Amino acid sequence: MFVTAPYLELHTAPGRGFPITQVVARDESVDILKRQTDWFKVRTARGVEGWASYKDMLSVVLADGTPFTFPMGDRAGFTSHNGEIGVFAGDYSGATLISAYGSYSFNSQMALEVSLGQFLGNASNGTLADVGLIHVFMPEWRFSPFVTLGTGIVHIEPKATLVAPLDRTDQTAYVGGGFRYYLTRRFFARAEYRSQYVFTSRNDNEKVDEWKLGFAFFF
Amino acid sequence: METGIRILLLSVVLALSGCASIRNWLDRDEPKEDTSAQADTQADTDDASQAPPRVIEPEVARRKIKVPRIDTENIEVGGVFGALSVEDFGTNPVYGFTAAYHVTEDFFFQAEAGRTTAGKTSFETLGGNVTLLTGNQRQFTYYNLALGYNFLPGEVFLGRNLTMTSGFYLLGGIGSVDFAGDQNFAVSFGAGYRVLPTDWLAIHVRMQDRIFNSDLLGEKKLTNNLEANIGLTVFF
Repeated sequence: MFVTAPYLELHTAPGRGFPITQVVARDESVDILKRQTDWFKVRTARGVEGWASYKDMLSVVLADGTPFTFPMGDRAGFTSHNGEIGVFAGDYSGATLISAYGSYSFNSQMALEVSLGQFLGNASNGTLADVGLIHVFMPEWRFSPFVTLGTGIVHIEPKATLVAPLDRTDQTAYVGGGFRYYLTRRFFARAEYRSQYVFTSRNDNEKVDEWKLGFAFFF
Repeated sequence: METGIRILLLSVVLALSGCASIRNWLDRDEPKEDTSAQADTQADTDDASQAPPRVIEPEVARRKIKVPRIDTENIEVGGVFGALSVEDFGTNPVYGFTAAYHVTEDFFFQAEAGRTTAGKTSFETLGGNVTLLTGNQRQFTYYNLALGYNFLPGEVFLGRNLTMTSGFYLLGGIGSVDFAGDQNFAVSFGAGYRVLPTDWLAIHVRMQDRIFNSDLLGEKKLTNNLEANIGLTVFF
């Protein structure tokens, strides 16, 4: 890698406030050792090590003159990325819901999503595990709607104080929709509604409303 | 008189022939130079007649540069050990596990889980044989999903030659507490301080409050469960 800017500033640690103790002059070479968040640890030809910010690394070129590119947390990354991880708080049929999800993107619109949740209510507690597909309509929009479809299981533990407490595990299927809203860097907010059908062993299937709002990042 | 003229003529002839031979002897190399010069001029005319001048073609293939995968160290995992004060049930040792993903230099997501065994309430201690909870129910297990903010990044100096990166961070999260045979929704707030002896190793000291509603002792109330712990984590 070669520096094309007048100089490349090297900080003592990965953070904007840490002092700049070294600079690499134009046309000198650096080796990249590792990356922590948006900081690259580099070593100069003279063996000096330091941390360069991602903004400064945009002016570095490879030996054949092509620019050095790397995944960044920006709007382009929001539109198209490898995966997402997020946390939600919400409501599951009256109970407080905590859930987390991870997704793997096939392309900018379609992704496979796995979510785990726990709901804590007055009458019963329980856990949820779901796997499904999500389709984002306009991934390039800051405010982008999506629909989701999937299946899972729910384990319900009625509170011991109630009559005939019986733990049960049932299969579920859900359909839902929501919005993603790009905040900054790698972060976005996500609001979602799911209409979940619980296939009980009784005569009637149960329909449960799941509302949640959360925070997620892409990578 | 005749002989005098003959001698003169002979000497002239001899002198001329001698001069001629000397001239040949002195200029022996000259003809060779002439021929090489002639050859050069001939070669020049030959090159000129063979149209465009030759272009040097390098026999080195253009290097195709592939950037190797850059080692990213955004994930931090480790263990914590400390003390957790369970409201009304005394303070007891707690051990736990923590994992974080650093999204930017300022923010990180953190998941943590821990467990302690609660002690006795003062009512149980004073009341003699009274026991409110069974051994299993005394286990206080929590998990928490939090967002962290690196509030005051900095450096610490140990003596004259050693500098370490440090940082003060704030935590806020949601999770659940499993205690006394019941699971409760819990909110947590806290702050921590980390020192990094190397790029990949961190020592934490932190303080958190885990708040949840409990109706264990008759009336429903908000309980504050303070935890102080130290942790050791690695980045990879």
